[in-house]
Amino acid sequence: MFSSYTYPLAVLLFPGGLFALILGLALKGADRRLAARLQRRVGPPLAQPFYDLVKLARKRTMVPDVAAQPVFLGAPLIGAASMILAAALVPIAGVYTPDPVLGDLLVLLYLLTVPAVVLMVAGSASGSPFGAIGFSREMALMLAYEGPLVLVVMAVALRTGIGQGGWISFSLPEIIAYQQRHGAFLFDPVMWPALAAFIAFYPANLGIIPFDIPEAETEVLEGPLLEYSGPALGLFKVMSALKAVVVLSLGVALFMPLAPSGALGLLAHLAKLLLLMLLGVTVLRVSCGRMRIDQAFRFFLKWPLALSLLSLAIVVIVR
Amino acid sequence: MTTLIQKIADKSRQLAARSPWIYRINAGSCNGCDVECATTACIPRYDVERLGCQYCGSPRHADIVLITGPLTARIKEDVLRVYAEIPDPKVTVAVGICPISGGVFRESYAVHAPLGQFIPIDINVPGCPPRPQAIIEGVAQAIAIWRERL
Repeated sequence: MFSSYTYPLAVLLFPGGLFALILGLALKGADRRLAARLQRRVGPPLAQPFYDLVKLARKRTMVPDVAAQPVFLGAPLIGAASMILAAALVPIAGVYTPDPVLGDLLVLLYLLTVPAVVLMVAGSASGSPFGAIGFSREMALMLAYEGPLVLVVMAVALRTGIGQGGWISFSLPEIIAYQQRHGAFLFDPVMWPALAAFIAFYPANLGIIPFDIPEAETEVLEGPLLEYSGPALGLFKVMSALKAVVVLSLGVALFMPLAPSGALGLLAHLAKLLLLMLLGVTVLRVSCGRMRIDQAFRFFLKWPLALSLLSLAIVVIVR
Repeated sequence: MTTLIQKIADKSRQLAARSPWIYRINAGSCNGCDVECATTACIPRYDVERLGCQYCGSPRHADIVLITGPLTARIKEDVLRVYAEIPDPKVTVAVGICPISGGVFRESYAVHAPLGQFIPIDINVPGCPPRPQAIIEGVAQAIAIWRERL
Protein backbone atom coordinates (compact mmCIF):
# COMPACT_ATOMS: atom_id res chain seq x y z
CA MET A 1 0.00 0.00 0.00
CA PHE A 2 2.76 2.43 0.91
CA SER A 3 3.98 3.03 -2.60
CA SER A 4 5.55 6.42 -1.89
CA TYR A 5 7.71 7.82 0.87
CA THR A 6 5.43 10.77 1.53
CA TYR A 7 3.38 9.11 4.30
CA PRO A 8 6.26 8.61 6.72
CA LEU A 9 7.45 12.13 5.94
CA ALA A 10 3.98 13.55 6.57
CA VAL A 11 3.70 11.68 9.85
CA LEU A 12 7.21 12.32 11.15
CA LEU A 13 8.25 15.66 9.69
CA PHE A 14 5.95 18.23 8.18
CA PRO A 15 2.40 18.43 9.45
CA GLY A 16 2.90 15.73 12.04
CA GLY A 17 5.90 14.93 14.21
CA LEU A 18 8.62 17.52 14.39
CA PHE A 19 6.73 20.48 12.90
CA ALA A 20 3.67 19.93 15.07
CA LEU A 21 5.83 19.44 18.17
CA ILE A 22 7.75 22.69 17.65
CA LEU A 23 4.50 24.50 16.84
CA GLY A 24 2.75 23.05 19.89
CA LEU A 25 5.59 23.98 22.24
CA ALA A 26 5.71 27.50 20.77
CA LEU A 27 1.94 27.84 21.28
CA LYS A 28 2.35 26.73 24.90
CA GLY A 29 5.14 29.24 25.35
CA ALA A 30 3.01 32.04 23.92
CA ASP A 31 0.17 30.95 26.18
CA ARG A 32 2.33 31.08 29.32
CA ARG A 33 3.83 34.40 28.31
CA LEU A 34 0.47 36.06 27.69
CA ALA A 35 -0.99 34.55 30.89
CA ALA A 36 1.88 36.12 32.84
CA ARG A 37 1.37 39.49 31.13
CA LEU A 38 -2.36 39.40 31.89
CA GLN A 39 -1.48 38.84 35.55
CA ARG A 40 1.07 41.68 35.32
CA ARG A 41 4.02 39.35 35.67
CA VAL A 42 7.12 39.23 33.51
CA GLY A 43 6.60 35.61 32.62
CA PRO A 44 8.90 32.93 31.27
CA PRO A 45 10.73 33.19 27.94
CA LEU A 46 8.83 32.02 24.87
CA ALA A 47 11.04 28.95 24.57
CA GLN A 48 10.35 27.82 28.15
CA PRO A 49 8.44 24.64 27.11
CA PHE A 50 11.51 23.58 25.06
CA TYR A 51 13.76 24.04 28.11
CA ASP A 52 11.31 22.05 30.23
CA LEU A 53 11.35 19.22 27.71
CA VAL A 54 15.17 19.13 27.49
CA LYS A 55 15.33 19.14 31.29
CA LEU A 56 12.84 16.29 31.61
CA ALA A 57 14.78 14.28 29.02
CA ARG A 58 17.89 14.54 31.21
CA LYS A 59 16.24 13.46 34.45
CA ARG A 60 15.55 9.97 35.78
CA THR A 61 12.23 8.21 35.41
CA MET A 62 11.26 6.63 38.73
CA VAL A 63 8.72 3.83 38.75
CA PRO A 64 6.79 3.39 42.02
CA ASP A 65 6.89 -0.09 43.62
CA VAL A 66 3.13 -0.46 43.42
CA ALA A 67 2.87 0.59 39.76
CA ALA A 68 2.21 -1.82 36.91
CA GLN A 69 5.51 -1.13 35.17
CA PRO A 70 4.81 -2.06 31.51
CA VAL A 71 1.54 -0.13 31.47
CA PHE A 72 3.03 2.75 33.47
CA LEU A 73 5.86 3.22 30.98
CA GLY A 74 3.89 2.24 27.87
CA ALA A 75 1.01 4.68 28.33
CA PRO A 76 2.94 7.90 27.54
CA LEU A 77 4.49 6.26 24.46
CA ILE A 78 1.08 5.31 23.06
CA GLY A 79 -0.32 8.76 23.83
CA ALA A 80 2.51 10.63 22.10
CA ALA A 81 2.48 8.26 19.11
CA SER A 82 -1.26 8.61 18.58
CA MET A 83 -1.00 12.39 18.59
CA ILE A 84 1.91 12.34 16.11
CA LEU A 85 -0.29 10.32 13.75
CA ALA A 86 -3.31 12.56 14.40
CA ALA A 87 -1.30 15.67 13.51
CA ALA A 88 -0.70 14.21 10.04
CA LEU A 89 -4.44 13.69 9.54
CA VAL A 90 -5.50 17.34 9.79
CA PRO A 91 -5.22 19.25 6.52
CA ILE A 92 -3.82 22.76 6.31
CA ALA A 93 -5.84 24.69 3.72
CA GLY A 94 -3.84 25.40 0.61
CA VAL A 95 -0.70 23.77 1.99
CA TYR A 96 -1.23 20.17 2.95
CA THR A 97 -3.91 17.60 2.13
CA PRO A 98 -3.63 14.30 3.99
CA ASP A 99 -3.70 11.21 1.83
CA PRO A 100 -6.97 9.28 2.28
CA VAL A 101 -4.83 6.21 3.02
CA LEU A 102 -3.86 7.73 6.38
CA GLY A 103 -7.44 8.14 7.53
CA ASP A 104 -10.42 10.48 7.55
CA LEU A 105 -12.32 12.52 10.12
CA LEU A 106 -13.62 9.42 11.92
CA VAL A 107 -10.09 8.08 12.48
CA LEU A 108 -9.15 11.52 13.79
CA LEU A 109 -12.08 11.46 16.24
CA TYR A 110 -10.93 8.09 17.58
CA LEU A 111 -7.32 9.25 17.84
CA LEU A 112 -8.45 12.35 19.74
CA THR A 113 -9.87 10.19 22.51
CA VAL A 114 -6.55 8.35 22.96
CA PRO A 115 -4.84 11.00 25.17
CA ALA A 116 -7.71 10.97 27.66
CA VAL A 117 -7.77 7.17 27.71
CA VAL A 118 -3.99 7.08 28.11
CA LEU A 119 -4.20 9.49 31.04
CA MET A 120 -6.82 7.28 32.68
CA VAL A 121 -4.69 4.17 32.16
CA ALA A 122 -1.60 5.99 33.44
CA GLY A 123 -3.43 7.23 36.51
CA SER A 124 -4.71 3.82 37.46
CA ALA A 125 -1.42 2.07 36.64
CA SER A 126 0.57 4.42 38.87
CA GLY A 127 -1.06 2.92 41.97
CA SER A 128 -1.48 6.32 43.60
CA PRO A 129 -4.80 7.33 45.15
CA PHE A 130 -4.52 10.74 43.50
CA GLY A 131 -4.04 8.99 40.17
CA ALA A 132 -7.22 7.02 40.82
CA ILE A 133 -9.18 10.21 41.55
CA GLY A 134 -7.73 11.75 38.39
CA PHE A 135 -8.80 8.62 36.50
CA SER A 136 -12.44 8.88 37.56
CA ARG A 137 -12.56 12.62 36.89
CA GLU A 138 -10.94 12.26 33.49
CA MET A 139 -13.51 9.61 32.58
CA ALA A 140 -16.47 11.75 33.67
CA LEU A 141 -15.12 14.78 31.81
CA MET A 142 -14.44 12.77 28.67
CA LEU A 143 -17.97 11.35 28.66
CA ALA A 144 -19.25 14.91 28.98
CA TYR A 145 -17.27 16.59 26.17
CA GLU A 146 -16.96 13.74 23.70
CA GLY A 147 -20.69 13.77 22.83
CA PRO A 148 -20.81 17.44 21.78
CA LEU A 149 -17.61 17.01 19.75
CA VAL A 150 -19.05 14.09 17.76
CA LEU A 151 -22.27 16.02 17.14
CA VAL A 152 -20.37 19.14 16.02
CA VAL A 153 -18.36 17.07 13.57
CA MET A 154 -21.56 15.38 12.40
CA ALA A 155 -23.18 18.77 11.80
CA VAL A 156 -20.23 20.00 9.74
CA ALA A 157 -20.04 16.74 7.79
CA LEU A 158 -23.79 16.80 7.10
CA ARG A 159 -23.72 20.43 5.99
CA THR A 160 -20.92 19.62 3.55
CA GLY A 161 -22.48 16.38 2.35
CA ILE A 162 -25.95 17.87 1.81
CA GLY A 163 -24.47 20.95 0.16
CA GLN A 164 -22.73 18.67 -2.32
CA GLY A 165 -26.00 16.92 -3.06
CA GLY A 166 -25.05 13.79 -1.17
CA TRP A 167 -25.70 12.77 2.41
CA ILE A 168 -22.72 13.03 4.75
CA SER A 169 -19.04 13.65 4.10
CA PHE A 170 -16.36 12.64 6.58
CA SER A 171 -13.48 13.81 4.44
CA LEU A 172 -11.72 16.90 5.78
CA PRO A 173 -10.34 17.93 2.35
CA GLU A 174 -13.90 17.85 1.00
CA ILE A 175 -15.13 19.97 3.93
CA ILE A 176 -12.41 22.51 3.23
CA ALA A 177 -13.09 22.51 -0.51
CA TYR A 178 -16.80 23.05 0.17
CA GLN A 179 -16.07 26.04 2.39
CA GLN A 180 -13.69 27.48 -0.20
CA ARG A 181 -16.55 27.42 -2.67
CA HIS A 182 -19.41 28.54 -0.40
CA GLY A 183 -17.72 30.63 2.30
CA ALA A 184 -16.40 29.60 5.72
CA PHE A 185 -18.78 28.04 8.25
CA LEU A 186 -17.59 30.76 10.62
CA PHE A 187 -19.88 33.21 8.74
CA ASP A 188 -22.73 30.75 8.21
CA PRO A 189 -25.50 31.40 10.80
CA VAL A 190 -26.67 27.80 10.48
CA MET A 191 -23.34 26.63 11.91
CA TRP A 192 -23.07 29.12 14.78
CA PRO A 193 -24.50 26.80 17.45
CA ALA A 194 -21.97 24.14 16.42
CA LEU A 195 -19.20 26.73 16.55
CA ALA A 196 -20.24 27.74 20.06
CA ALA A 197 -20.24 24.10 21.14
CA PHE A 198 -16.75 23.64 19.68
CA ILE A 199 -15.50 26.74 21.50
CA ALA A 200 -16.73 25.19 24.76
CA PHE A 201 -15.24 21.81 23.85
CA TYR A 202 -11.65 22.59 23.10
CA PRO A 203 -10.56 24.08 26.45
CA ALA A 204 -11.95 20.94 28.09
CA ASN A 205 -10.06 18.68 25.74
CA LEU A 206 -6.86 20.64 26.30
CA GLY A 207 -7.29 20.52 30.09
CA ILE A 208 -7.36 24.28 30.59
CA ILE A 209 -8.32 25.88 33.88
CA PRO A 210 -12.08 25.85 34.21
CA PHE A 211 -11.90 22.22 33.03
CA ASP A 212 -8.52 21.04 34.31
CA ILE A 213 -10.33 19.00 36.95
CA PRO A 214 -8.54 15.66 36.34
CA GLU A 215 -5.08 17.23 36.73
CA ALA A 216 -6.00 19.89 39.28
CA GLU A 217 -2.66 20.74 40.87
CA THR A 218 -4.04 22.16 44.05
CA GLU A 219 -6.58 19.38 44.65
CA VAL A 220 -5.25 16.08 43.32
CA LEU A 221 -1.61 17.09 42.73
CA GLU A 222 -1.75 16.72 38.93
CA GLY A 223 -3.71 13.47 39.27
CA PRO A 224 -2.56 10.88 36.72
CA LEU A 225 0.79 12.64 36.22
CA LEU A 226 1.61 12.63 39.94
CA GLU A 227 3.99 9.66 39.88
CA TYR A 228 5.64 10.44 36.54
CA SER A 229 9.10 11.94 36.31
CA GLY A 230 11.84 12.48 33.75
CA PRO A 231 11.43 11.33 30.12
CA ALA A 232 8.05 9.65 30.77
CA LEU A 233 6.63 12.95 32.03
CA GLY A 234 8.28 14.63 29.03
CA LEU A 235 6.34 12.32 26.72
CA PHE A 236 3.11 13.50 28.36
CA LYS A 237 4.20 17.11 27.73
CA VAL A 238 4.88 16.18 24.10
CA MET A 239 1.45 14.59 23.92
CA SER A 240 -0.33 17.65 25.27
CA ALA A 241 1.61 20.03 22.99
CA LEU A 242 0.72 17.92 19.95
CA LYS A 243 -2.87 17.66 21.11
CA ALA A 244 -3.15 21.45 21.22
CA VAL A 245 -2.00 21.62 17.60
CA VAL A 246 -4.34 18.82 16.48
CA VAL A 247 -7.44 20.17 18.21
CA LEU A 248 -6.87 23.78 17.14
CA SER A 249 -6.07 22.73 13.56
CA LEU A 250 -9.26 20.67 13.55
CA GLY A 251 -11.17 23.77 14.64
CA VAL A 252 -9.57 25.79 11.85
CA ALA A 253 -10.36 23.09 9.28
CA LEU A 254 -13.98 22.77 10.41
CA PHE A 255 -14.88 26.43 10.69
CA MET A 256 -12.40 28.83 9.10
CA PRO A 257 -10.12 27.13 6.58
CA LEU A 258 -10.07 29.90 3.98
CA ALA A 259 -6.45 30.77 3.18
CA PRO A 260 -4.23 31.47 0.19
CA SER A 261 -2.03 28.60 -0.92
CA GLY A 262 1.70 28.30 -0.38
CA ALA A 263 3.81 29.93 2.32
CA LEU A 264 1.18 32.63 2.90
CA GLY A 265 -1.40 29.94 3.64
CA LEU A 266 0.90 28.36 6.20
CA LEU A 267 1.39 31.75 7.87
CA ALA A 268 -2.38 32.33 7.92
CA HIS A 269 -2.84 28.89 9.49
CA LEU A 270 -0.26 29.65 12.20
CA ALA A 271 -1.92 33.00 12.90
CA LYS A 272 -5.32 31.32 13.29
CA LEU A 273 -3.88 28.72 15.66
CA LEU A 274 -2.25 31.43 17.76
CA LEU A 275 -5.51 33.39 17.85
CA LEU A 276 -7.52 30.33 18.93
CA MET A 277 -4.91 29.51 21.58
CA LEU A 278 -4.63 33.01 23.05
CA LEU A 279 -8.32 33.92 22.97
CA GLY A 280 -9.87 30.55 23.71
CA VAL A 281 -7.30 29.21 26.13
CA THR A 282 -5.12 31.88 27.74
CA VAL A 283 -7.73 34.54 28.38
CA LEU A 284 -10.15 31.87 29.60
CA ARG A 285 -7.71 30.27 32.01
CA VAL A 286 -6.53 33.48 33.64
CA SER A 287 -10.07 34.80 34.08
CA CYS A 288 -11.76 31.71 35.55
CA GLY A 289 -11.63 29.53 38.59
CA ARG A 290 -11.75 25.77 38.38
CA MET A 291 -15.14 24.06 38.12
CA ARG A 292 -16.07 21.03 40.19
CA ILE A 293 -16.42 17.84 38.20
CA ASP A 294 -20.21 17.73 38.64
CA GLN A 295 -20.51 21.35 37.50
CA ALA A 296 -18.43 20.68 34.40
CA PHE A 297 -20.39 17.50 33.68
CA ARG A 298 -23.70 19.32 33.98
CA PHE A 299 -22.44 22.26 31.92
CA PHE A 300 -21.38 20.03 29.02
CA LEU A 301 -24.54 17.96 29.02
CA LYS A 302 -26.58 21.14 29.07
CA TRP A 303 -25.18 23.87 26.80
CA PRO A 304 -22.69 22.38 24.32
CA LEU A 305 -24.80 19.25 23.87
CA ALA A 306 -27.97 21.27 23.31
CA LEU A 307 -26.19 23.64 20.93
CA SER A 308 -24.67 20.87 18.88
CA LEU A 309 -28.00 19.01 18.69
CA LEU A 310 -29.67 22.25 17.62
CA SER A 311 -27.04 22.75 14.95
CA LEU A 312 -27.53 19.21 13.69
CA ALA A 313 -31.30 19.71 13.52
CA ILE A 314 -31.01 23.03 11.69
CA VAL A 315 -28.57 21.56 9.18
CA VAL A 316 -30.98 18.74 8.39
CA ILE A 317 -34.05 21.02 8.21
CA VAL A 318 -32.51 23.92 6.26
CA ARG A 319 -30.86 21.75 3.63
CA MET B 1 32.32 13.30 16.10
CA THR B 2 33.01 13.12 19.80
CA THR B 3 33.35 16.89 19.99
CA LEU B 4 29.95 17.25 18.30
CA ILE B 5 28.35 14.94 20.85
CA GLN B 6 30.13 16.86 23.60
CA LYS B 7 28.80 20.12 22.17
CA ILE B 8 25.23 18.83 22.00
CA ALA B 9 25.49 17.51 25.55
CA ASP B 10 26.79 20.88 26.80
CA LYS B 11 24.07 22.76 24.95
CA SER B 12 21.32 20.53 26.30
CA ARG B 13 22.73 21.00 29.79
CA GLN B 14 22.60 24.76 29.41
CA LEU B 15 19.03 24.60 28.14
CA ALA B 16 17.96 22.18 30.84
CA ALA B 17 19.34 24.44 33.55
CA ARG B 18 16.79 27.08 32.53
CA SER B 19 13.90 24.95 33.69
CA PRO B 20 14.18 24.44 37.46
CA TRP B 21 10.90 23.30 38.96
CA ILE B 22 10.27 24.07 42.60
CA TYR B 23 8.64 21.90 45.23
CA ARG B 24 7.87 22.94 48.78
CA ILE B 25 8.12 20.68 51.81
CA ASN B 26 6.66 21.90 55.07
CA ALA B 27 8.66 20.19 57.82
CA GLY B 28 6.44 21.38 60.67
CA SER B 29 6.73 25.06 59.90
CA CYS B 30 4.51 27.67 61.57
CA ASN B 31 3.33 28.65 58.05
CA GLY B 32 5.10 32.01 58.11
CA CYS B 33 7.80 30.94 55.66
CA ASP B 34 5.24 29.07 53.54
CA VAL B 35 3.26 32.25 53.12
CA GLU B 36 6.44 34.01 52.01
CA CYS B 37 7.26 31.19 49.56
CA ALA B 38 3.75 31.30 48.14
CA THR B 39 3.99 35.08 47.91
CA THR B 40 7.15 34.93 45.87
CA ALA B 41 5.39 32.69 43.39
CA CYS B 42 1.97 34.19 43.30
CA ILE B 43 2.13 37.92 43.33
CA PRO B 44 3.20 39.73 40.18
CA ARG B 45 5.93 41.74 41.79
CA TYR B 46 8.14 38.78 42.73
CA ASP B 47 7.47 36.53 39.72
CA VAL B 48 9.88 33.55 39.75
CA GLU B 49 8.43 32.11 36.56
CA ARG B 50 10.70 34.48 34.64
CA LEU B 51 13.64 32.38 35.90
CA GLY B 52 11.90 29.40 34.33
CA CYS B 53 10.71 28.17 37.71
CA GLN B 54 7.38 26.53 38.14
CA TYR B 55 5.80 25.36 41.38
CA CYS B 56 4.85 21.73 40.97
CA GLY B 57 2.42 19.64 42.99
CA SER B 58 4.39 16.42 42.90
CA PRO B 59 7.84 15.71 44.37
CA ARG B 60 8.57 13.54 41.33
CA HIS B 61 8.56 16.61 39.07
CA ALA B 62 10.83 18.69 41.26
CA ASP B 63 14.38 19.95 40.80
CA ILE B 64 14.72 22.47 43.60
CA VAL B 65 13.22 21.75 47.02
CA LEU B 66 12.31 24.51 49.45
CA ILE B 67 12.09 23.12 52.97
CA THR B 68 10.56 25.18 55.76
CA GLY B 69 10.19 24.37 59.44
CA PRO B 70 12.23 22.86 62.27
CA LEU B 71 11.58 19.19 61.35
CA THR B 72 9.20 18.17 64.12
CA ALA B 73 9.40 14.63 65.45
CA ARG B 74 5.93 13.93 64.22
CA ILE B 75 6.66 14.71 60.57
CA LYS B 76 10.31 13.61 60.31
CA GLU B 77 9.71 10.23 58.62
CA ASP B 78 7.30 11.71 56.09
CA VAL B 79 9.69 14.51 55.17
CA LEU B 80 12.54 12.04 54.62
CA ARG B 81 10.28 9.84 52.51
CA VAL B 82 9.05 12.71 50.30
CA TYR B 83 12.63 13.94 49.97
CA ALA B 84 13.72 10.50 48.74
CA GLU B 85 10.97 10.56 46.13
CA ILE B 86 12.50 13.56 44.36
CA PRO B 87 14.55 12.31 41.41
CA ASP B 88 18.24 13.27 41.20
CA PRO B 89 19.80 15.71 40.47
CA LYS B 90 18.18 17.95 43.07
CA VAL B 91 19.11 21.03 45.10
CA THR B 92 17.85 21.72 48.61
CA VAL B 93 17.09 25.19 49.92
CA ALA B 94 16.28 25.56 53.61
CA VAL B 95 13.97 28.53 54.06
CA GLY B 96 13.76 30.32 57.41
CA ILE B 97 15.77 30.11 60.61
CA CYS B 98 14.00 26.94 61.81
CA PRO B 99 15.82 24.40 59.61
CA ILE B 100 19.15 25.91 60.72
CA SER B 101 18.72 26.05 64.49
CA GLY B 102 15.09 25.45 65.33
CA GLY B 103 14.41 29.17 65.69
CA VAL B 104 11.92 29.88 68.44
CA PHE B 105 11.39 26.12 68.82
CA ARG B 106 15.07 25.29 69.49
CA GLU B 107 15.87 22.81 72.26
CA SER B 108 12.30 21.57 72.22
CA TYR B 109 11.88 17.83 72.77
CA ALA B 110 9.49 17.72 69.79
CA VAL B 111 11.95 19.15 67.27
CA HIS B 112 14.96 17.57 65.48
CA ALA B 113 16.20 21.00 64.65
CA PRO B 114 19.32 21.17 62.53
CA LEU B 115 17.79 19.76 59.37
CA GLY B 116 21.31 19.29 58.02
CA GLN B 117 21.72 16.15 60.14
CA PHE B 118 19.22 14.29 57.96
CA ILE B 119 19.14 16.02 54.58
CA PRO B 120 22.07 17.57 52.68
CA ILE B 121 21.28 21.30 52.48
CA ASP B 122 22.82 23.43 49.73
CA ILE B 123 21.48 26.88 50.50
CA ASN B 124 20.28 28.44 53.72
CA VAL B 125 17.90 31.39 53.58
CA PRO B 126 17.74 32.60 57.20
CA GLY B 127 15.01 34.88 58.52
CA CYS B 128 11.85 34.58 60.52
CA PRO B 129 10.32 34.71 57.97
CA PRO B 130 12.84 35.67 55.25
CA ARG B 131 11.89 38.42 52.85
CA PRO B 132 10.66 37.39 49.38
CA GLN B 133 13.77 38.94 47.84
CA ALA B 134 15.93 36.70 50.04
CA ILE B 135 13.99 33.61 48.94
CA ILE B 136 14.38 34.57 45.28
CA GLU B 137 18.10 35.09 45.89
CA GLY B 138 18.24 31.62 47.42
CA VAL B 139 16.42 30.12 44.45
CA ALA B 140 18.79 31.92 42.05
CA GLN B 141 21.81 30.50 43.91
CA ALA B 142 20.18 27.07 43.88
CA ILE B 143 19.80 27.32 40.09
CA ALA B 144 23.54 28.04 39.82
CA ILE B 145 24.33 24.93 41.89
CA TRP B 146 21.82 22.90 39.93
CA ARG B 147 23.49 23.84 36.66
CA GLU B 148 26.71 22.23 37.97
CA ARG B 149 24.93 19.07 39.03
CA LEU B 150 23.01 18.40 35.85
